[in-house]
Amino acid sequence: MKSVSLLVGCALVSVMSGAAFGQGVAPPSTQYGAKPYLPEPRQYFVPPMQVPPGVGWKQGQTPIVPAGLKIQAYATGFEHPRMVYTLPNGDVLVVETNGPNAPIYRPKDYVEAKVKALAGSSAPGGNRITLLRDVNGDGVPDVRTTFIDHLNSPFGVVLVGNDLYVANTDALLRFPYVAGETHISSPGTKLTDLPAGPIDHHWTKSLAASPDGSKLYVGVGSNSNITENGIAVEEGRAAIWEVDRRSGLKRIYAAGLRNPTGVAFEPQTGKLWAIVNERDEIGPNLVPDYLTSVREGGFYGWPYSYFGQHLDVRVQPQRPDLVAKAIPPDYALSSHVAPLGMAFSQASNLPTRYRSGALVAEHGSWDRSPLNGYKVVYVPFRAGRPSGPPEDVVTGFLTQDERRSQGRPVGLAFDRTGALLIADDVGNAVWRVSADQIGGQPRPAS
Amino acid sequence: MNRHFPTNDVIERVPRKSTDPSVLRVGLVLQSFQEAPIRPGRPLHPRLIGLGAVLLVAVLVTDVTYANTLLFQWENFSIWLLTGGLTLAALGGVALVLDILSRRVARIEWVKFTGLAVAAMLSLLNAFVHSRDAYTAVVPQGIVLSASVATLLVVIGLWGWSVGTPPSSH
Repeated sequence: MKSVSLLVGCALVSVMSGAAFGQGVAPPSTQYGAKPYLPEPRQYFVPPMQVPPGVGWKQGQTPIVPAGLKIQAYATGFEHPRMVYTLPNGDVLVVETNGPNAPIYRPKDYVEAKVKALAGSSAPGGNRITLLRDVNGDGVPDVRTTFIDHLNSPFGVVLVGNDLYVANTDALLRFPYVAGETHISSPGTKLTDLPAGPIDHHWTKSLAASPDGSKLYVGVGSNSNITENGIAVEEGRAAIWEVDRRSGLKRIYAAGLRNPTGVAFEPQTGKLWAIVNERDEIGPNLVPDYLTSVREGGFYGWPYSYFGQHLDVRVQPQRPDLVAKAIPPDYALSSHVAPLGMAFSQASNLPTRYRSGALVAEHGSWDRSPLNGYKVVYVPFRAGRPSGPPEDVVTGFLTQDERRSQGRPVGLAFDRTGALLIADDVGNAVWRVSADQIGGQPRPAS
Repeated sequence: MNRHFPTNDVIERVPRKSTDPSVLRVGLVLQSFQEAPIRPGRPLHPRLIGLGAVLLVAVLVTDVTYANTLLFQWENFSIWLLTGGLTLAALGGVALVLDILSRRVARIEWVKFTGLAVAAMLSLLNAFVHSRDAYTAVVPQGIVLSASVATLLVVIGLWGWSVGTPPSSH
């Protein structure tokens, strides 16, 4: 009943925003790469929206992969799994987490909370990391333990030597790790605080270590869509922090990145790349989310502008000095796809055509009609730069009529055999995608 | 149903000047809906409409302050004032229906009614405008709507918040 009234509300909303008539929404393919098509921004009474309720998977159902790949459930029954990470011994960590409860500042926050719940994004997170171990190497884990419990909305995880770092929403923690152990009881030590409450609008803290292991990079999202909570609460946010691994000293490495939900080093060039979720509510094709290399000291526009010098009039007072130096990102993924996971595929054991680029998990959102995202794509790279349009790799997270979502992909990692693991926070599963030895080109084990 | 609400033919059979007290009580309840009441009750709706209108007029003040200071909290005040004002306006509408049913209002003053209805519609639109994020939630459309509504409501308010004339007393 609740969802019926919400659906009626959404239908009303789509009529008011003109979205029900599907008027003039250019396809996502016009917004790939370095020079995406950017329509004029619009201000709506109700922004275009389409909310597919999150319903989960039926027994035996899986996402869909093209010929040459196969997909299976690696493990199921999680509490909002968002990140996967493989330890050197092959153990897989699954971060079960969700954001802290957002405060209600405006009537709109209440409506947004309802929409979020309908889409399956409000399920409580486990606030823990679960360990999976595949003892016999058949691609199905045989051991499952709670690795670290009682975390605070964790997201990023990285191991450097014997130090395991976990990015809680409010702090970067270090845990001592001994190879082979299945549980860490140490409460961990705090390396440094991270920007968090009381609003904590974009709560995920993505995490990567520099190739030499001396620095950690933390993606910190903005505290609003577009400064509606004031500019003061954006201090230190919409940025990638660089944290010295030994001292915990930190500085802003790059800024103006609205919500950098994934950070990773491109293996060929050793450069830092990030996926970023851009702003909402100025049109179904604004603003494209993107994948970009991140320059030290670089400013990427948020909140004042996007894709270089395209001003956002919602932000006042403006900062022409910052807009002038705003760097356009390298590669648009198209609008409202909500990239939440990224992994460079060189180390994978997928078929060769998927082995020289980045895999990006597009969680999908309700801020566009027709929907966009809800899939995992492959962005080919050449010489350390994107070299072509994204290709669908894992689809079928939405039902065929696009009315419901069965799953939504988030974190990506490769298991010890080089197969792709995908955390699915609506399906509460981890999927495993590997080369199909029979259907596709057989691959030698690496 | 018949036990609680006698149908019309039951009433027909009840003599007007019945001496049976129970029959008299039923008769009075029905009478209050069917004929002008004996006591000229004060209408309910002007109080609710007046309260709601005050909140909707205040939106102009918080909007102007937001536009002058760019402090986001003033925009939040505006949307809560709009929400409160519209809620009271809706309750005022319900009260008006009750006033008509209970014959506290005999005739609608259509000019005033239309003015208030337009103010409510514009405020509803304004609530959607104010649900945008940051500057364009107020400037320019929001503040134009707030000023129009405030002007309309002050003019109507000086005239009085009642949208109906009471039944003429005997």
